[in-house]
Amino acid sequence: MFTRSFIGLSLLGGLIAGCNPTPSSSGDFQPLSTDQVVFWDRQTTETAQLLQRITDEFNDSQEGLPVRIETTGNYGEIYRKVMASIQARQLPAMAVSYESMTAQYAASGAVVPLDGFVSAASGGLSPEELADFFPAVLESNYYSDYDGQLLSFPFSKSVLMLYANHRVLRAAGIGAPPRTWEEFLQQCRTIREKTGKPAYAISVDCSTISGMIFSMGGELVVDGVFQYDQPAARQAFGLLETLMEEELAYQIQARTFDDEVAFARDDVAFTIRTSAGSANMAVAMGGKNDDWSMNPLPQQNLDRPATILFGPNITIFKTGAEQERVAWAFTRHFTSVPVMTEWALATGYLPIRKSVADDPRMQAYWDAWPSNKVPYDCLAFAKTEPNLRGWQEIRSLVEKAESAVLAGLKSAEAATTELQAEAQATLARAQQ
Amino acid sequence: MKRAWAYIVLTLGALLVIYPFIWMVGTAFKTLPESMGGSLNPLPQAWQWGNLSATFQAAPFGRYFFNSMLVGITVGLSVVLTSLLAGYAFARFSFRGRGVLFGLVLATMMVPFEITFIPNFVVITRLGWYNSYAALIVPWCANAFGIFLVRQAFLSLPEAYYDAAVLDGCGPLRFLRHIGASMVKPTLVTVFLFAFLGSYNALLWPLVVTSDPSMGVVQVGLASFVLDSGVRLNLLMCASAFVIVPSILLFLVTQRYFETGALGSGLKE
Amino acid sequence: MSLWVGFSDGLDRVLAWADGHLVGRSGRPEGGRRAALCLLAPALILLGVFGVAPIVSTVLLSLFDLRYGDGAFTGMGNYQEALQSSAFWNSVRVTAWYLVGVVPTTIGLGFVVAWGLMHITRGRTLFRTLYFLPYITSAYAAALVWRALLNPQGGLANGLLEWLGLPTQQWLLEPRGLLHVVTGGAVAADVGPSLALCCVMAFDVWHGLGFTVVILLAGLSAIPQDLEDAARIDGAGVLQVIRHVTLPLLTPTLYFLLLIGTISGFQAFNSFYALTQSGGNTLGTTENLVIYLFANFYDNGRWGYGAAIATLLLVAIIALALVQARFARRWVHYS
Repeated sequence: MFTRSFIGLSLLGGLIAGCNPTPSSSGDFQPLSTDQVVFWDRQTTETAQLLQRITDEFNDSQEGLPVRIETTGNYGEIYRKVMASIQARQLPAMAVSYESMTAQYAASGAVVPLDGFVSAASGGLSPEELADFFPAVLESNYYSDYDGQLLSFPFSKSVLMLYANHRVLRAAGIGAPPRTWEEFLQQCRTIREKTGKPAYAISVDCSTISGMIFSMGGELVVDGVFQYDQPAARQAFGLLETLMEEELAYQIQARTFDDEVAFARDDVAFTIRTSAGSANMAVAMGGKNDDWSMNPLPQQNLDRPATILFGPNITIFKTGAEQERVAWAFTRHFTSVPVMTEWALATGYLPIRKSVADDPRMQAYWDAWPSNKVPYDCLAFAKTEPNLRGWQEIRSLVEKAESAVLAGLKSAEAATTELQAEAQATLARAQQ
Repeated sequence: MKRAWAYIVLTLGALLVIYPFIWMVGTAFKTLPESMGGSLNPLPQAWQWGNLSATFQAAPFGRYFFNSMLVGITVGLSVVLTSLLAGYAFARFSFRGRGVLFGLVLATMMVPFEITFIPNFVVITRLGWYNSYAALIVPWCANAFGIFLVRQAFLSLPEAYYDAAVLDGCGPLRFLRHIGASMVKPTLVTVFLFAFLGSYNALLWPLVVTSDPSMGVVQVGLASFVLDSGVRLNLLMCASAFVIVPSILLFLVTQRYFETGALGSGLKE
Repeated sequence: MSLWVGFSDGLDRVLAWADGHLVGRSGRPEGGRRAALCLLAPALILLGVFGVAPIVSTVLLSLFDLRYGDGAFTGMGNYQEALQSSAFWNSVRVTAWYLVGVVPTTIGLGFVVAWGLMHITRGRTLFRTLYFLPYITSAYAAALVWRALLNPQGGLANGLLEWLGLPTQQWLLEPRGLLHVVTGGAVAADVGPSLALCCVMAFDVWHGLGFTVVILLAGLSAIPQDLEDAARIDGAGVLQVIRHVTLPLLTPTLYFLLLIGTISGFQAFNSFYALTQSGGNTLGTTENLVIYLFANFYDNGRWGYGAAIATLLLVAIIALALVQARFARRWVHYS
């Protein structure tokens, strides 16, 4: 009787504990706080302090509920927290998120489409204002899986860069960083020959591979068919294979910034990272701006360049009219021209609006050091990864294939063939 | 002779074991480039004492320490209490279904925590405990390990102690307070230590059930030094070194109980 | 002081009153079911809600083909998929290598340290604290230190190898087997645990040693010293004393450590996660069952499948614990 009631209680608890397999996806979610508009963010240190100041200014300027920033760990942690909160039906008003994360949140009916806010007569964005945002920055926030609705809004964007250490280049007698992948390979060989050191520190990362494929003239997915067995992808993996075979590059530990360290110590000439890392790199290089540069990703065809866009957006959750209204007002304030200018100048993130680019302070920043402007110049030809369901899972398959090639356990040919089949199967299962 | 060998082996082993801590403390006082530099010398070229203030400015560590200690001590004491009562009941009472019930209790020790946190998170929010001390404390106030240890300790007590209690006319609660608790004290201290450490070192759960900085704990505070584009390794190591100090002090205070023998014989059937 | 006495008296009165209701005035401190219920209630309610309920919901979830919250009943479908999946069996192998590598090593090294500590007089507190240090450090912070020491470029580990004139290694990045690396390629690369997995195992031996030492010290100090002395007088050497006197008397403690080590070994997560982030970068050679279920459950949102893996893991742990309990009768001596 005693044991039975304990088991009964636990069973009941298990059922209440949610995870009841058919949750209702209708109705709003409870806000995390009724007297504050909570924003889950991942910025730390100086950037977090700047964001806090911008938020304080916003709160002082408006009558509604105040916005409160809560630093919530890295993107993986934010994602898990939001998914758990959706299950508990209690959410913050907004959170930073990548497109693939937003696509999953939207499947649970938790995301507020922003089209209505944008087109509203008061508090919206006029067509001119909307056109002020760079198309590349805005377009990935329209989700084809959800009738092309605007489910998130751009925020901190960056592009993939080739960082070059000129001290090493000079030591190898090289005048300028490479512009094509062919030159890149040649320079790596020269550096190896002249300095005896590997030239490039590789950080295993799906987005970097995606950027390389774009720059080699390829696509990731066309009409639901992956392109990993096509020439551009083969070429990208093949380059990595060659670099490792000839000991021109080495792999760093996953999710570390050991490549930045090696770069700053003149142990390598190149790293491929997003422009968001430039502030950190400047610290690591001790302010000696003549000794390094940011360059566009090497290309296959200089007439038709391509690279990859990084960076999260803001997603607003269905937590009631007032919370949503303030969350949008905050998003609008945050992406306004003066704030975005300040943000771009302080953090090294891209100016996501044309008017920001026209700001004299921005121009002065660009003039101060040529590398400052390079990320902005790349924005014109930056593309984004697909925002399909299942992409998150496929990313880890890509990294597995890359690791196999770097470890020398598979040829580029074999790795890409396998990756193509696995990615296609995973996509099919995820889209069921 | 034998003793000399023991000292040699123990010293060599200890050097291996604590080398990472020497590295941690040394790195804590390096400049950022030096800390990332992969130098084989664990100690800094010049000690950067300024890292101390930089560390404590980066996050409200005073508040975090307060929260972590409050949560850890409350969890520790609660686990001691629930384990004492339940362990005693499992050891000395006979009732139908005792075996099944004890088996279920042990089963809770065997589920990986990572899978339980969504159901538990849902319960916490339904109770309205999100961002509260209750969320950090209550789910961890009983654990199978503690109940098991206390039960074993009571099983190993000679019958005579219970007879004495009968003569005194003690009921179970007064027996526990006046006789039982002191008889199994080494076990209770052990249970407290491990419950405290489990709570104090937890990262995933506090990260899930709190986001308000005033509810932050030290382990979450360590994440303040991890950026999107790099790690402030020197400050992170500085904070890490401080974070382990309360645990070391607690261990120093409690360790004399580990050799009294009572804990050892308590592991017998 | 008088406040405390007053409180103590009051508490006693409350306890006596409660005792009266629990067992009546029958005499023995242990009474019937009602008393047991009251004593067990706090622990059982907490464990029921936060321990058993999640098990129940996990088992229920495992019967549905859920992507996040949505999906249809599939019965044993998730289990069938798992048993046919090579990634699942790979994670089983990784878990098995880990258990075989970590549990005996930790207990063996722990015994050497604990035995040494029992036989020294000065500095015992210091040594004991030093050996316990890793255990009280959060796995996350400790893993960062280890990653730096095992960094293939400029880390201490490769520094030592260079100094010894040996080829440097990729450590946490090396998916090839330990045997392959040690034999210079004579053994196939996919035989045995990878070097990366061995690094994770070494980390956990280091991290868990303090716990083992403390428990073993408790066990050793319960062994009467005169038994060892008697054996020594009879002319037995150190190893003989250990083998014939110490170890048999220590078997209950060893069994306890084996059981706890197995359970926590099955559940190892923090070290894998903090050292390698995910199994992908070592081609799955550091993807144990918990990492595998974590990736499926959280990263890929396959709640049903992840729950099925968790259920299999639970069954495996219980089965192994029962097997150990059964064999324990043959080798554990209760005095």
